[in-house]
Amino acid sequence: MKKRVDVSIPLGPMHPILKEPCRLKCETKGERVISVEMELGYMKKGIEQIMKGRPWQEVMFLAERVCGICSVIHNMVFIEAMEQLSELQIPARAAYLRVIVNELDRIQSHLIANFSYCYTIEHETLAMYLLNIRETVMDLLEHITGARVTCSYMIPGGVRFDISADDHKIIHTGIDTIEEEVTRYAGMFNTGSLIRLRSVGVGILTPENALLAHAVGPSARASTIAYDPRTEHPTYQDLGFTLVTRSGCDNHSRIMLRFDEIFQSIGLIRRALATLPEGLIRGGGKFTKGTVIYKGEAPRGELTYQITADEYGRIVDIAIQTPSIMNEEACVHYMMTDVTSIADVTSTFISCDPCIACTER
Amino acid sequence: MRSVILYLMNMCRVRWVRSFLHPKTVPLVTGEGFRDYPHLTEHACTHCFSCMMVCPAPGAIEVVQDGEIWYPVIKKGHCIRCGLCVEICPDYVLDTGHVRRNTGRDGTFFQFTYHLDVDITRCMGCGNCSVSCPVNKEIDPQIGHSGCTISDEVIMRVIGGKARILNEAKCTGCKTCENGCPNGAITVARVLEAKQVQ
Repeated sequence: MKKRVDVSIPLGPMHPILKEPCRLKCETKGERVISVEMELGYMKKGIEQIMKGRPWQEVMFLAERVCGICSVIHNMVFIEAMEQLSELQIPARAAYLRVIVNELDRIQSHLIANFSYCYTIEHETLAMYLLNIRETVMDLLEHITGARVTCSYMIPGGVRFDISADDHKIIHTGIDTIEEEVTRYAGMFNTGSLIRLRSVGVGILTPENALLAHAVGPSARASTIAYDPRTEHPTYQDLGFTLVTRSGCDNHSRIMLRFDEIFQSIGLIRRALATLPEGLIRGGGKFTKGTVIYKGEAPRGELTYQITADEYGRIVDIAIQTPSIMNEEACVHYMMTDVTSIADVTSTFISCDPCIACTER
Repeated sequence: MRSVILYLMNMCRVRWVRSFLHPKTVPLVTGEGFRDYPHLTEHACTHCFSCMMVCPAPGAIEVVQDGEIWYPVIKKGHCIRCGLCVEICPDYVLDTGHVRRNTGRDGTFFQFTYHLDVDITRCMGCGNCSVSCPVNKEIDPQIGHSGCTISDEVIMRVIGGKARILNEAKCTGCKTCENGCPNGAITVARVLEAKQVQ
């Protein structure tokens, strides 16, 4: 980076507010931040290279381990990409169950993103409330799939386990609790005067800049850009999915948009449970050869898999494009310029929900 | 002001007051359906090795022999607790969480097919694959050191200086040939299909 001022402040790679290592180099003039640059490369895993030459039953688990927080969507996008490549049809019940588990995963991911933000602005009470309610979501995930994080629930042609009538009740009770609690927490966040002081008008990402930086997911939707690959997904279309946007363009509206999406996910789960079709959960079928590009909406934004497979369904070539890299670039180059304090750099960075694990894979 | 009221309302809830007066750490309990490391059940293992073939983590499960008894051993440092070995076991030897109960209820199962592929341009005709193959050894114990045999029942043998696949259906997917090939010419594809009883 070309130095323009005397004081450049490095944040990271080890910093209390960063969950994962990355380095933010801030050029400051007094307290005002003139420009920021991000340095990545502290935890490259090379996971795409490990995937090559392996069949789905191995790649599926590797795909889950691309991201530690939103693991279900990686599983879903990989399996659905391979299904599209092999032209497999899945039973309607399995498609609905996939949506239920995926939306539960989205809820817990958004909760931990909002937890991080509240923690960064030193509102630890609300942060711990959010982390506490996240446990309920994790318990539901564990009840349905058997694991809290690496669920490995979606498999070719369907899902691994069905849900019984008892499970219906447990999920309903769980999401009722989540809705009740998150409503209160969203109210606290929205009305808290100190939170507003730290959030409203900080880290502005104008719609033009968002388009320029190819921001995706909640970061883009909080800047009025109506884009969500879920609108093109057949199961979500059946469930009447409509995307939510906000026009605040700042930290506050990005966090509130995540709260909105949590309520939207709860609505989707309710609708999916109410209209859950009867029938099989696995359609069978083998993967074949071909090339496909498939998109899905991860909690952080658009996730794309480009896969080439051989005749036995083994991966020949794979490329994963995760949403975080675009959001981080948008954050560093547009949101952070001219923030009035170094303290706002950290909170703005966390507000775009960076995930270094999936950025570097 | 609204924020203060919200916080006060939060503190007036019975649950909050109770947890404030009697603070205690939530006990650390494992959920009922948690998919932990697989454990052995009372059923006897018939050493079909399906669990070893399906395992996505290298070296996490191994079927060993103790006298007349065979049983699978899980290596906890390697196991990723995916539960595939539990689902695929035809003899109910392993169990974890709700996996066995759910698969029994839903009638779901996995089916394996194995495919062998020889890259003719890479094959040197050394016969390592034919010699190392445990199925070949069982069919023809007299198999020669360069993969020479007169038996047509073997999985693969060297014909005209190249390894040829004769009976692909007999393959058990152990990948001994693939690991023994010095030139990476032979590959085994373990094709897994997820099915459900209609």
